[in-house]
This record gives sequence, C-alpha cells and structure tokens, in this order.
Amino acid sequence: MIEAYLAHLLVLVCIYIVLAVSLQLSIGFTGLFNLGHIGFYAVGAYASALLALSGQPFWLCFLAAGVFAGLTGWLLSLPTGKLKGDYLALATLGFSFLVYAVALNWNDLTRGALGLPGIPKPELFGFAFSDTYSFLALAAVVAIASYLIVQRIASSPFGRVLGSVRDDELAARTLGKNAARTKSIALASSAFLAGLAGSLYAYYITFIDPFSFTLLELVPVLAIVVIGGLASLEGTILAAFLVVLLPEPLRFIGFPSSVIGPARQIIFALLLLAVLLYRPKGIGGKVELD
Amino acid sequence: MLQILLNGIIAGAIYALVAAGFALVYSTARFVHFAHGAIVAGGAYALFFFFERLAIGFWPAAVLAIAVAALLGWVCNELVYKPLRHRGATPLILLLAGFALLVLIESLLLLIFGADVKVIRVLPVERGMDFFGAIITPLQVVIVVVAALLLVGLHAFMSFTRLGRSLRAVASNKVVAQIRGISVEATYAKAFLLASAIAGVAGILVGMEYNLEPTMGTSLVIKGFTGAIVGGVDSVPGAILGALLLGVAENVAAWYLPSGYKDAVAFVLLFLFLLFKPNGIMGSNKGARK
Repeated sequence: MIEAYLAHLLVLVCIYIVLAVSLQLSIGFTGLFNLGHIGFYAVGAYASALLALSGQPFWLCFLAAGVFAGLTGWLLSLPTGKLKGDYLALATLGFSFLVYAVALNWNDLTRGALGLPGIPKPELFGFAFSDTYSFLALAAVVAIASYLIVQRIASSPFGRVLGSVRDDELAARTLGKNAARTKSIALASSAFLAGLAGSLYAYYITFIDPFSFTLLELVPVLAIVVIGGLASLEGTILAAFLVVLLPEPLRFIGFPSSVIGPARQIIFALLLLAVLLYRPKGIGGKVELD
Repeated sequence: MLQILLNGIIAGAIYALVAAGFALVYSTARFVHFAHGAIVAGGAYALFFFFERLAIGFWPAAVLAIAVAALLGWVCNELVYKPLRHRGATPLILLLAGFALLVLIESLLLLIFGADVKVIRVLPVERGMDFFGAIITPLQVVIVVVAALLLVGLHAFMSFTRLGRSLRAVASNKVVAQIRGISVEATYAKAFLLASAIAGVAGILVGMEYNLEPTMGTSLVIKGFTGAIVGGVDSVPGAILGALLLGVAENVAAWYLPSGYKDAVAFVLLFLFLLFKPNGIMGSNKGARK
C-alpha cells in the first residue's frame, strides 16, 4: 500500500520534472518569461486524450500531444515575439486563460466541464502500463529524456545563442543571430515537452477536465523553476522532489482534503516568496530574473 | 441593446475602481501589482465577516472592510515588495512575487471561509426600475454613482492635493522627485494605501452585487489590468475608460457567444492591445516598454 503511494508520488514528480525542465528552457535558458505553460500542458493533455479515446495507439497520441502543443507554442511566439518582460508574462498568461475558456466551452469537442473520462492505459509493443509501477517506469523514462534533451539543447551552440538572446538581444542580433526565430524555436520546443507532460498526465489519471489546467496549477511549476534556480537543471530536479513531497505530510496529520488543497497552495506561495526574498538564485541558479 | 450597454457600464464601474487602483500603483512604482485582485477579494470578505457574521451594521462594516483592504495592501508592500525593491529586484520579480501573494491570500480566504459561495444582503432584493426600456436595480444605481463619485474624487485628489502631486511627481520622474525632497518609498507606501482603500470599496460593491468566491481576486485583477492596459496603464483616467470599455465589450460578447466565453473577452482585448497598442488609448509613450 505504502509502496503504491510512493510510486504515485514519484509519477507526479516525473510529470512535474518534464513541466519544469521545459519551462526552464523558455524562462531560464532563453529569458522568455512564459506564464502560459499550463496552456501548452492542457493542449497536450486534450490532444492526447481525444486521440486515445478515438482508438489511436499510445505512441501516436503521445507524439501528437507534443506536436500540437509545440505548434501552439510556435503560433503564440509569432505575435508575442516582440514583447518583453512583464508584457510577455501577461500575454502568455492570457493565452493560458484562453485555452482554459476553450476547454470549458467547446462542448462538442471537449465535453466542457464534464471532462473526458475513460482514457485507456498506455500500451507499447503489446505491453500495457496498467499499474502504477509500470507507469512510473514510463514516466521516469520520459522525465529523464526531457532532462537530457533540454541539457543537450542548452549545452549546444544553439543553447549559447539562446543565452545570448536572454542576456543581450541586441548584441545577439548584431552578431547575425536571428533573435525572433531563436525565441520561436525555444518556445515551441518548451511547449512540445509541456505537451508530452500533458499526455502523461491524461494517460495516468485517465480523466481530464478543464479544472486540472487552471492558473493554480502553474504555482507548483513556477515554484519548482524558481526554487531550483534559473538555468539550473540539477536544481530543478531537486526542487521538483521538494515541491511535490513537502506538502504530503499534511495528509498524515489527518487534515480533511478541504484544508489540504489550500494549505498546499499556501506552502507553494510561501516557498516562492521566501526564495524570491532571501535566495533569489534558488538552489543552483546561474542567472537572475530580469 | 440599451440593457446590454447598461449592464456593461455597471460591470465596468466596478472594474474601473479595480483598474484605477492598479494603475495608481503601476504608474508610481512601475510594476504589475498582481495581488491587487486579492485585496479586492479581501475587502469583500471583510464586509461579509463584519456585516453577515458579526452583524455590526452596514456602515461600520463597510468602514472596517475598507480599512482591512488598505492594511492588506500596505502589508504586501512593506513585507514583500519593499524588501525586493531594496535588493534591486526587476519588475518581473515583483510581478512574480505579486502572483505568489495573490495565491497566498486566495488560499487563506479559502481556508478561513471555505469554498462555498457567500452572499451579502444589504439592500432587500427589489424589482428593477424601468429606465428607457432597460431594467436597473436600485443597488446598481448605487454602484454606478459610488464608483463615479469616487473616481472623480480620486482625480481631484491627484490634481489638487499635496500627496496627489507627489504621487504624480514620483510617477513622472523618480530621481527628480527625490531631489526635490519627496521620499520615494514613503510615496509608494501611500500609493499602496490609497489604491488598496479604493480596492476595498470595489470589494464592497462586488460583494453586494455578485456572490463571493475565494478565487474572485484572480478574475478581478485580470479585468483591472486589462482595463488599465486598454486605457493606458500610466494614466488613471485612461484606466477608467478602458475598464468601462471592457465591461461593455464583455456584455456585448455575452450576447452573441456562449456565456462561458465572457471571461475570455478580457484576454482577447488584452492580447490585441499588448500587440498593437501597448500604450493604450490614453497612455503616454514614456512609460511603455516595447
């Protein structure tokens, strides 16, 4: 029993790792203050769930989730490419609200507030990931792969272009780098990975509704990124464990779930504030937000 | 059609109070005070607590609600924003901190008052009056009149009093204001007190006209800053105009679209203005960032 509970927590850690390392790609490595990450996560989850419910195989749904989310990210980057700092933050935040409103109101496609139940468990090469342990293995593979992909991008020549766009866009352009295209690629790749996380979530819970993708869901992800430290992937992994596991003892003290929900958010918000106030670079951050 | 316009103006009057406070902080301290919506919610819940739970009568409860809101805004500034500014934090970090504060205050409200919708009954429910074929309730007349008086008062205050002039001085040039002997930090503190007191009034009006929910702050701050950006974020009269436009646009859209999209209207407007007219209708070029 306790093992299954631990495995469940680790699956959540894996999903949050995918979300947080992909958010690092836009916020930490490229300096794009993207608050629309939950929107990409939702697009991925819905794309994957709808395809899975129509009988498509797991690998196709999973990849389609990434591709749909990535395309959305690319489209979003076109109009917002020129926005900076808090204006970009507000515009991307607006985007995630739009996704939420569409998920809630496009009843013919998403069934609105009723949500999409009965998403089948994933199957790959005839093997069904039907229990928590096998799903954990799958989620861990995706989390490690995302980590390696982002690390690979960050340490590649392209990663240095990303950093130069973050630190001094004018200089990057003077050196002949196409800053707008660089930012588009960064946002699209970041969204691609968030879409994969969405697909994992949909397959894991087997039910999605719009309320899983509200602004509140952004709080733990942002907390992980800020606590981990910008552009620090090791810090992000540590922070993901910390943020997912820290509120869990609340359950054992015997609080009712009506208390645990807000108490979790309070813990995340206080953590976020404490890091911003006392340790602005987080656990292993290399750059400060600006 | 007149009814739609009238409903728009009533909603817009409340948004205008939120937007005016938001723009007041933005124009003086130059950052997105995201927690402003939570302060409105705090005011509304304070009214609920004093009026419905303690039953101390409407006027004392209203005065206390305004005081609670003003205090809440002041505390946000003293405990979070001020230390961050001392550290030289960028507007983006302040935005993030404001987001954390918003989540913190909303979760506290949820914890204290519970998730169920609260109703404040100050005036007996009356049948609306006929106004050239449109229906308007006495309460709605009160809302529009109070909002209009308060906004005119604010304008006079900003134009003719010493504090109003020092607020505008800090807004237009911090360094020069400091050289002329105005304490910038003290002015920020007063801007927060003033803006939050107005937020308290907005909270009272929201509480009387609509129902209370812990998450109302998020949607209100979005309406507030959309109004502010549409009208011109560094101009308080502009913010009021923008908020009225938003109120009307939402109600017109709700006539043609499923009502669930009403909240998305703010974002579409926000998006369009950020992209095409980031200074807003009445904003100056000076404060806007590209």
